[in-house]
Amino acid sequence: MIKTDVLVIGGGPCGLAAGIGASKTGATVTILERDSRLGGILMQCIHNGFGLHLFNEELTGPEYAERWMEMLKKEKNINVICDAFCSSLEPTATGYLATAYNSKNLVEVEAKAVVMALGCREKPAGAILLGGTRPAGVFSAGCAQKLINVDGKKVGKRVVILGSGDIGLIMARRLVCEGAEVVGIYEIMSQSGGLARNITQCVQDFNIPLHLSTTVTRVVGKKRVEGVFVAPVNEKLQPIKELEKFVPCDTLLLSVGLIPEIEIAGELGLEFNPVTNSYIVDEYYQTSRAGLFCAGNVLHVNDLVDNVSREGLRAGECAGLFAKGGLDTRNKVEITHDEHIKYTAPKYFYNTKSGEFQVSFRVDKNYKRTIIRAMSGGVEISKRPAPAVTAGEMQALKLDKSKIANDLHLEIEVME
Amino acid sequence: MQDFEVAIIGGGIVGACVFSELTRKGVSAVLLEGASDVSNGSTKANSGIVHAGYDPLPNTLKARFNIRGNQLYPAMCARLKVDILQCGTLVVANANDRAGLETLYNRGLQNGVQGMRIIERDELHQMEPNLADNIDIGLFAPTGAVISPYLVCIALCEEGVVNGGTVFTNFFVDRIEKSGEKYKIFARADTTQQENLASGGMHSTTKNDSTMHIKNAENCEKMQKNNENCCVTAKYIVNCAGVGANAINALVGAPQVPISYVKGEYLLLDKSQKGFVNRPIFPLPTKMGKGILALPTLHGNIMLGPTAQPCEADDTTVDDEGIKAIKSKVVLSVKQPNYKKVIKLFAGVRVISGDDFVIEHMPNTHYFYTAGICSPGLTAAPAIAEYLVDEMAKDGLTFKPHEVVSRKPYVCTADMSKKALKELIKQNSAYGKIVCRCEKITEGEILDAINSPLHPTDVDAIKRRVRPTMGRCQGGFCLSKVIKILSDFYNIPPENVQLNGKNSEILTK
Repeated sequence: MIKTDVLVIGGGPCGLAAGIGASKTGATVTILERDSRLGGILMQCIHNGFGLHLFNEELTGPEYAERWMEMLKKEKNINVICDAFCSSLEPTATGYLATAYNSKNLVEVEAKAVVMALGCREKPAGAILLGGTRPAGVFSAGCAQKLINVDGKKVGKRVVILGSGDIGLIMARRLVCEGAEVVGIYEIMSQSGGLARNITQCVQDFNIPLHLSTTVTRVVGKKRVEGVFVAPVNEKLQPIKELEKFVPCDTLLLSVGLIPEIEIAGELGLEFNPVTNSYIVDEYYQTSRAGLFCAGNVLHVNDLVDNVSREGLRAGECAGLFAKGGLDTRNKVEITHDEHIKYTAPKYFYNTKSGEFQVSFRVDKNYKRTIIRAMSGGVEISKRPAPAVTAGEMQALKLDKSKIANDLHLEIEVME
Repeated sequence: MQDFEVAIIGGGIVGACVFSELTRKGVSAVLLEGASDVSNGSTKANSGIVHAGYDPLPNTLKARFNIRGNQLYPAMCARLKVDILQCGTLVVANANDRAGLETLYNRGLQNGVQGMRIIERDELHQMEPNLADNIDIGLFAPTGAVISPYLVCIALCEEGVVNGGTVFTNFFVDRIEKSGEKYKIFARADTTQQENLASGGMHSTTKNDSTMHIKNAENCEKMQKNNENCCVTAKYIVNCAGVGANAINALVGAPQVPISYVKGEYLLLDKSQKGFVNRPIFPLPTKMGKGILALPTLHGNIMLGPTAQPCEADDTTVDDEGIKAIKSKVVLSVKQPNYKKVIKLFAGVRVISGDDFVIEHMPNTHYFYTAGICSPGLTAAPAIAEYLVDEMAKDGLTFKPHEVVSRKPYVCTADMSKKALKELIKQNSAYGKIVCRCEKITEGEILDAINSPLHPTDVDAIKRRVRPTMGRCQGGFCLSKVIKILSDFYNIPPENVQLNGKNSEILTK
């Protein structure tokens, strides 16, 4: 039995930061990482662009992870257990009991507070009801990324990519660099969900065709992918059958969305948000169960790892404070929003009338010119003009609690 | 050239049942499977239901073998150490269709189905809270059950091997000659010319020896070099070739059976949907079949389907019409499922020959054949095997009773107590290394599957045994790890690891 103040489940960017955040409060920390090393998915992201916001540098994934690992090493109270798969999490009278095992042993960890830093997984073909056959050569983009970047393998010679999220775009460039032909990227929406810089650097600079409002309708091939059918979609995103055409290829990469890995707490009855497919948190990144925190991609799928680290740091700090004595949870206020905003994280804050906190949110679609506004007590307390707001990019607003009355409402004013 | 008393052609559920039945009776038997693994056709892609037996018309082979098969399953599963979910099955209807439900009930009585009862609205909705609102009555058959059809098939073949039988995979029969009292059965040349050893699978002997498989493959290669085709001889043949029934019949001059193929498409939902239904829910059957069901799988997923589309013998595509048909029809019985939780689409082909099974003994020969073993074929298979083996005995086949050896079940660490798992990890560290996080499958379990009597060589064969890549991420995280384990074990390049048989390499060079 291991006893710890704060247990962090997951040693990726969120878990690394959470561990450091918790340790800084003087709490003892245990990090459980299922892989043989810390860093999580960052370790297979050998492209650069990480850390622009936090370090003012363009680092690769492993370099970015290394920065945090160096910071982690300086902390005295952190016990890292790698190759440790956390299989269950149960509440106890004094906190939580987690069970984890690796090739050496099965251990139980008793913690006063827990930070879920489990990241997310990729949607499989089934989740988008992709029909056809089930041959070899269909990969999720992240799986292909691991096979190419970590294992040094090749996944195919003539590749179609479905979905233009950031992973899809980055893998398109990666495959071309590895000598494969990327026949095209197909995106069902009328715009790419990826960052603008990835569209320029990964797609346009490499002359890879990006077909918007077009999707893959079925997979063809008995043993190995022989091709896919693609079709443009109508305004209801339904494929137009008459315009369906065959695209020969030997590989299909799917970059069709990410799902938070929330299963560990599936039986704890936490307040849930179907929009993010994850749990609802307050400004401390605490779920509806005291002492159980949730941050990073398991909370909501982030576009920038810098934000994941920021959230992890804060969640870890709050978990540490919780374990050491408690958090101020008086005057709970629910953050409401208009129809342009899909969700906010956090959903609740505690109006202590002093200090700042940050609200992250996403909008429902792309807008050219907007003003983001926070209202409280019927007056505007914060306002920020935001040109080119996209559905993919996370927005954030820093708010001063001393200006807030007993409510908080976020609005987007769309300027045509 | 190896000689056997009986050759069974086809490693689906019927062939596997015959193989197990014979080997337990001490008969020297070989099972010949054209694909890289047994259970690779209709057997792997169906609803996995042990039907109670109220559906088939009385006095048909379907009724007879359904009832008998249903009786045999619980003891067979216990003997094989595989799970069976004795949840019963439910046919549901609205009040206007009471007569139809009663017809089914009476047919069940006539067929000899035990324990059925018609359940009224309140109790029905209590049993199944997610039934559609307009469902008023249901026929509950407590003897209906759910199994994993591929696991039962694999277990039967494993039992056959540990009891002295032989299984040859990648043995696609394309020529049969009569040589005196014996049949000479040849494999298609290309199915045995494997480039890598890991795909030439021939599995025999009672030894659970990982090198045996490779030795057999080497033998096969030697035969190739000596310009011999892989060939076995046997006095009796049982054709259990499913979609290939007529092709095999043609090789021995047996009659062609009128056959049609009907595709059944399915949607498989994540385990988080467990409890959506607690037992298979059927609509009232029509001439077109048993309709679209919602059912729990043995492993806790929810499955919707099957459709019934006429198709070609090898057509397992899932098309838009199929998906639409499932969506529009399943809600006639149950509330709207959460389609966001779909993790896999798949399809299987049923072989249909008129209204009944075809189970024949070709006169004046030792050739037996089956065809058109569609639903309730999975349920009927053990009874069909029992019948066939009886008929072979009447035709002179003799048994050599011996003590039956049990097959070893697969370890499932996910179902273990903490204490038991802790102990197991101490004994063997591989049981502490998680490979598939969705299904919580360890390296130890995957190595067990590789070392099992049939020595599976490809990713899907491992999946059918111990479930890596079967979970909610469908291999997104574990595929690369499973490839590495297979490549390390068989000492082949990762590029040669296949998904499901020849030409299905996952990586490219």
